[in-house]
Amino acid sequence: MSWDSEIDEIKQRRKLAKQQGGKDAVKAHHKKGRLTIRERIDALLDKNSFDEIGEGAGVPDYNDKGKLSDFQPANFILGFGRLDGRKVIVGGEDFTVRGGSPNPAGLRKSVYTERLALQYKLPLIRLHEGGGGSVGGTNKEKDRRPLGDPVFNESRFVPLAETLSAVPVASAALGPVAGLPAARLVASHFTVMTQNAAVLIAGPQVVKRALGHDMTKEELGGPQVHLASGAIDNLAEDEGDALSQIRRFLSFLPDNAWAYPEKLTSQDKADRCEDMLADIVPTNRRQPFQMRKIINAVVDQQDGGSSFFEMSRKYGPSLITGLARLDGESVGIIGNDCMYYAGAMTAAAAQKLRRFVDFCNSFHLPIVSFVDEPGFMIGPDSEKAGTIRHGTAAISAVLQSRVPWASVQVLKAFGVAAQAHFGPDGYVLSWPSAASGALPVEGGVAVAFAREIAAAEDPVARQKELEDMLAASQSPFPRAEGLSVHEIIDPRETRPKLISWLHLAVAAMQTETPGPYLTGMRP
Amino acid sequence: MHVKSEIAGSVWKIIAETGADMAADDVIVILESMKMEIPVIAPKAGKLMQMHIAEGDMIVEGQLIATLE
Repeated sequence: MSWDSEIDEIKQRRKLAKQQGGKDAVKAHHKKGRLTIRERIDALLDKNSFDEIGEGAGVPDYNDKGKLSDFQPANFILGFGRLDGRKVIVGGEDFTVRGGSPNPAGLRKSVYTERLALQYKLPLIRLHEGGGGSVGGTNKEKDRRPLGDPVFNESRFVPLAETLSAVPVASAALGPVAGLPAARLVASHFTVMTQNAAVLIAGPQVVKRALGHDMTKEELGGPQVHLASGAIDNLAEDEGDALSQIRRFLSFLPDNAWAYPEKLTSQDKADRCEDMLADIVPTNRRQPFQMRKIINAVVDQQDGGSSFFEMSRKYGPSLITGLARLDGESVGIIGNDCMYYAGAMTAAAAQKLRRFVDFCNSFHLPIVSFVDEPGFMIGPDSEKAGTIRHGTAAISAVLQSRVPWASVQVLKAFGVAAQAHFGPDGYVLSWPSAASGALPVEGGVAVAFAREIAAAEDPVARQKELEDMLAASQSPFPRAEGLSVHEIIDPRETRPKLISWLHLAVAAMQTETPGPYLTGMRP
Repeated sequence: MHVKSEIAGSVWKIIAETGADMAADDVIVILESMKMEIPVIAPKAGKLMQMHIAEGDMIVEGQLIATLE
């Protein structure tokens, strides 16, 4: 006697599991220009590093003699692997089996993904393509009991929520993603979708029945919807680009909240000073400038390009958020984009900022803020969007920050919203173009001096005179005299100044033992 | 190709003429929004077929500015 036949059956089961939904289903999937989940995982991870969990989970079929004849694998593939040498956990739905809508083993594996990430404290990557539950349930055998989880089981959403404060989570939508997979997708620090992906709470038929809208799934939840809605951070040209964005995102982060980000050897000079910074801000306050050019000139150059990795560009676009390296250290970058409403804080920009600041705090990333804040966005749309509450919540998040914080005041810092750019014990550098106050002179003068302007012989000339006078009082020099800023600098000095500060700040931060970042209620 | 405004504001100045060959990043119109002059640029090269707005018009987010071919 030996175990040969059982060992052969293990081999056979593995072979059947790798067939996924069968040749025809795989072929149909490829025809849509999409990779299967196994191909995606192979493309993402370092070569031959995938160490699968639960490959044997699924539903077997037996022949008359009781021998295994077929096997429907769980339609969620899960396992450990290496990404640029680091251990990670990766999982995703197998669309070739039931369109990714969970079969019982698939559901168990998918729910286990977050638990594994929490248990081993490793970065989590989910590659989504699949639907949610079906009204028909997951069992074909209607009379099979028991049907659901017992009441004493922990909700499957508990680990989903907990991962965000414990480990970095990056997810991709690589096709239609609906229901539960869509909820898991957005329970991430970074989300990316391909052009032909769609993210939906419910699909077109359900929507048509309930609301009468006749829309395609792309119209309901394509990239043009969800990049602006903020549900998805970035667009990818194709699946390869989506995976490389995930790789890049994770490169800035530690394995978990109990560790600091790794410092790399910088390929860039710490004392590099870019001449273009001296005159990039127009002296005419009506004319805009490109904040991204400033950010790219200051952060490390890496492999022939900027190390700046922007996230959520289309959501709340008056605020720029992303990750970068400064002399090899990972940092979070914030900047106002005056091309959108002069850089004013909209409700969306405020929510983007709050989420980004919490994310940086979760993984101990120092924050560098490039400030050109005219204030909260004004007007009827902004009031209706509840900007004041979202903005105040963002300010609370900033002021609860525990990471090192530097602010480079490039131009405006006005109103209550200005506070959202200056963290506790922050290092403040001011450019000569900086202007601060309760509100910008152009709006403020007309209100505060309304009677005086109206009474003047030439009201237009008087208004201009008052504006020029008050603009001078918003100059950064008196602020430097009063130590309201650490330094007023030649803009070219921004990079070396920030790097000197960053090394001190990181060394001080790292005297503390890192851990998860938890905060209380906010407005 | 439809060029839409990403912001609300008013049309301050029309820069490009209908029929002109535009290169990518060429300015089509300048909007005034929040007291700043914000250019609307051609996202790709193409011929400016139609201008859908006039100077002084109030515009909303997502409004069609011009059609390029």
